[in-house]
Amino acid sequence: MFVTVMENKQRLFMLSLSRWIRTPVGSRLCRFASHLHRPSPTTSDTKNARIMRILGKRVQERTQLSSQLSEEMSSAADISRLKQLKESEPLQAAWDEWIRIRELLEETNALLEDSDEAMRALAVEEHQSLNKSLTELVETTVPALLIPPSTTSHLSAMLELKSGVGGSESSLFLANLLRMYLRLANVRRWQASVVSQNENDGGGIKDAIVEVKGEGAYDALRWESGVHRVQRVPATEASGRVHTSTVAAIVLPLMEETGTTEELFNMDDVKVEVMRSRGAGGQHVNKTESAVRLTHVPTGITVSMQDERSQHQNRRRAFTVLRSRLMDQKIMREIAERRATRQNLVRTADRSEKIRTYNYAQERVTDHRIGLTLKNLSSVLEGDGLEDFIGALQKDHAETVLEDMLSDA
Amino acid sequence: MASKLFATLAASLGPAQASLEFKWMIQQSPKLQHLTDMVTRRSRGEPLQYILGESLVLSKSPNLLTSIPGSQPFGPLNLLTRPPVLIPRPETEHWVIKLADRLSASSAQPKSLLDLGTGSGCIPLLLCHLLPQGSLRAHGVDISTHALQLATDNATLCAIPPESTSKNTFTVSLGNFLSPSFPDDAKINLPYDIITSNPPYIPWDEYLQLPRSVTAYEDPKALFGGPTGLDFYHAIARLVRRKHFLRPGAIVALEVGHGQAQAVERIMRLDAHMRDTEIWSDPWGKERTVLAHL
Repeated sequence: MFVTVMENKQRLFMLSLSRWIRTPVGSRLCRFASHLHRPSPTTSDTKNARIMRILGKRVQERTQLSSQLSEEMSSAADISRLKQLKESEPLQAAWDEWIRIRELLEETNALLEDSDEAMRALAVEEHQSLNKSLTELVETTVPALLIPPSTTSHLSAMLELKSGVGGSESSLFLANLLRMYLRLANVRRWQASVVSQNENDGGGIKDAIVEVKGEGAYDALRWESGVHRVQRVPATEASGRVHTSTVAAIVLPLMEETGTTEELFNMDDVKVEVMRSRGAGGQHVNKTESAVRLTHVPTGITVSMQDERSQHQNRRRAFTVLRSRLMDQKIMREIAERRATRQNLVRTADRSEKIRTYNYAQERVTDHRIGLTLKNLSSVLEGDGLEDFIGALQKDHAETVLEDMLSDA
Repeated sequence: MASKLFATLAASLGPAQASLEFKWMIQQSPKLQHLTDMVTRRSRGEPLQYILGESLVLSKSPNLLTSIPGSQPFGPLNLLTRPPVLIPRPETEHWVIKLADRLSASSAQPKSLLDLGTGSGCIPLLLCHLLPQGSLRAHGVDISTHALQLATDNATLCAIPPESTSKNTFTVSLGNFLSPSFPDDAKINLPYDIITSNPPYIPWDEYLQLPRSVTAYEDPKALFGGPTGLDFYHAIARLVRRKHFLRPGAIVALEVGHGQAQAVERIMRLDAHMRDTEIWSDPWGKERTVLAHL
């Protein structure tokens, strides 16, 4: 009995699928279709067809999985299968909903030709409403279900800011950016602490490292990595000429000593150096010399830390930075490996790339990756503006993930 | 005004060290009056560790500042410092953390530890903090009542009780371990599994060369180790070779001055009849700790 039902469902699925796919004319998928340009109907139809093809595949896998369940449903393999079935329930529900709407549409189609005018009018209305539900399902609900949950959502972030071109003005702007991120952390109820900071002699901050602890901090901040450019008349400029300066941001996943994560390095590969000579040392000297430098020999990564009065603290912090940088390399490597297997165009993860411009004269901020401009600079630096960029960048990332998935389908 | 203060500090410490210390002072209290006081004291040679402390911000009158304890981070602990008690050094921090890794203390059989010349209590307190709770009973002796008071205050600050069945404990008593009547007059419970000490080890000629920030502020009784600097190691050797002073399998860990490790190792082998001696280097590459086993 069970098998028959399944067979029927599968037949129905094939039928629906073939009907669906027949309609749109295939054309190249527009990878970077941003929200600024509405995609043409054909490309969006092709995309929708692919989305449903992936969903269909998932549902088929699910059916197969449930047929593998043993009678007793008690083995370890069964438990894992049941867990997977449970997790994929929303996929099945979305699929069932799609079939249902498609069937209703079929019925309504017939009524569109009805001889009774009132009936036809009713059918047109019904047809529109069903189409709307279908679009909503295919373009919003299903993609959200298909995108795998972020593997980095639990990670806190380590934000490194370094002044770039522009001398003192760059350091002054770095202080503005630092304030912006500390503000964001405060609003999001993350715990932010500046663990290292070097003042610039002419005002501002030469470089800073901030630990941002909290759920989702890394996922939100990771798109802030890159070169931030400022165009404004510096406070120090007498002639009123607009300068262009830059600050580089690097956002790393914060890797604290937890003991649970796999070791990212071998202790033998790390050279620990103290920075200055202490002469005889010990009881002979009571000067505070707590600076520490770590070198990870295989990668050549070096981390210096001197902000704490305790060498032990500096050492611990330096290891956190090292671990974070190594974790970041690992994530980048994995992304590169996944993408190397594809022929697709890939947006670069190059950190020397200019990602955003803050133009004071025009009161605007533009993110060059997604082409989004906010014409309210102070809201970005002092208000909710940054959230808009982060939201748009996360959405863009989700779309990229989906499109990667589609191109595999 | 702040830049003038910084210049004052830089003139006595050099710009790199001054910028770090000035930053810590600002973190302590950005008030100009406090900053001026801190910079003045530091420029006169007072150790930073006596100046910077959590209680400083609480004080209202700058005249009171000298009597208020400073602090020094020691491993994960933040210990009080108070003149003239010896300020915990980073070299000591380093070997004590290493020793904690080495000690296989388990709460099934609590180990007893004696720290000779405990000073601020930094060595036993850090071990009490790092080792599993209930696995260590530590006792510190010192000749200085200032030291005993500070060590007791630090134990309170670090929440390490003098008595407990489930937690590591720390107690102190007055005693002079150079004296022939030691340990009978020091109220200590023999035998011990672990002896630690950072005894005074600076020889006479080197004592005369020490920077003012050490000699003018820190207790000579915590620094001066006799003509050769080795007096206290000989005294420790005489103690540990006594019957029932150490439990079988006991370990002795001693901090030494630069260039003394070989001599102290010899004393521990020949005079104290210890075996399996080891020498550990500090982060600056100086031989700093002699370890010996019974």
